[in-house]
Amino acid sequence: MSNIAGKAYAMNAVTPMRWYTAWWNRLFFGIANLRPSTTAGLATLSLIHYARWVIIMPGQFPNLGKGQPRENVKYAYMIFFSNFNGSWNQYVDSFSSAIPRGLDLFWFGSIKYPKSVPVLPFHRYITSNQIWTDYYYNAYPMATSNDVKSAKRIKDALLPFIADSQRESPEEFLQKYNRLLINLQHDISQMGPNPVVSLSASAVERNLGKEREWREKN
Amino acid sequence: MANKSGNAYALTVLCPIRGGVQSHTAPLQQQLQTLQVNEQSPMAKVPNTYLCRFWVLSDVPYQGKPGFLDHLKSDYLVFSSNFYGELDPYLEGMWKALETGIRVILSHCVDGDSVSDAESFIEYIKRCKVATTFFFNGSTDEPLAQQLKNLYLKQEFSKFAFENQGKSASDLQAAFRAFVLRTQPDNLDGPTWAAGAYHLDKVVK
Repeated sequence: MSNIAGKAYAMNAVTPMRWYTAWWNRLFFGIANLRPSTTAGLATLSLIHYARWVIIMPGQFPNLGKGQPRENVKYAYMIFFSNFNGSWNQYVDSFSSAIPRGLDLFWFGSIKYPKSVPVLPFHRYITSNQIWTDYYYNAYPMATSNDVKSAKRIKDALLPFIADSQRESPEEFLQKYNRLLINLQHDISQMGPNPVVSLSASAVERNLGKEREWREKN
Repeated sequence: MANKSGNAYALTVLCPIRGGVQSHTAPLQQQLQTLQVNEQSPMAKVPNTYLCRFWVLSDVPYQGKPGFLDHLKSDYLVFSSNFYGELDPYLEGMWKALETGIRVILSHCVDGDSVSDAESFIEYIKRCKVATTFFFNGSTDEPLAQQLKNLYLKQEFSKFAFENQGKSASDLQAAFRAFVLRTQPDNLDGPTWAAGAYHLDKVVK
């Protein structure tokens, strides 16, 4: 069971909201969908790969028949999924610092939501409503969200540079190459696995590996 | 509803888990927690999967008085995936890559035995799918193969820049030409990063 895959953390938080105010939340999110500028603050949180909010009204839990009892909950539920880099504390603090009003709008009408500022009650609210991930997959565990974006910038600069520099003299090439490096200086860096920041996390990974090997042999 | 942001799709699925006298939740979680990870993950075989997760929603949280105490009558297997492209082709690709594993997982879910082929799998997922209310895409809007190639180029070009500092103009140009021949920047099939790889000696394919 792990919330971590390489450098990404999977957060799942389930929070109840009054069903009759959930319509307001859907309206706020609808406006955010139509006007991306309303989520400009969110875009500054470059540590996020992807995040989503899913509001499930009381009658909307999937029911497939075959004897499955129908849900009879009083509240609507919002599930928040996030994939981000860095620690849990850094992430929640960043969210609270960058878009405090946005968070308060997103969680408007949620039961006992403490507002995003001050930050400690907000930490406790997320902690008490967070559910652990059973399995998490990341296609590029050695890369942060910023690495993925900077890799695109490098590719976008490199391909035309290669095309333009085919027939140049070495001196002309050197000049253009140096300019390329200056333009990409914020993007050039090497990636690798996370350093060991937690001995207990490393021990968990080792034990999981041993358990898998044992299961395969038996 | 915002299942998409650009070309990225946010799929959220709640599959009710078989309950009754012998609940299927614990064996299902056991299977999920012992799946292979990284480049050996089954999800690494599903084309265009950026990040995905599985977890079990056993009940909804209670916030304390004066809030109401709600309880769910079923446990749910929650599957959320962020991928490139449209839903049907993605699910078809998932079935093609993981049919056996999908059958095992769905054997723990209500009506999971109605799934026998790609078409019934897509239909089943759509019955369990919930709409995303808001989806934020903080990444690039490119297919996974392109993102992996970009990461490979970033890694290799960064190494190249470091190793070729101070060279003469003609040596540098010759080295760069060799770099382009070796890395094939236009070729998404390879060399590139392998999906899910988490070790430097296993990442290039």
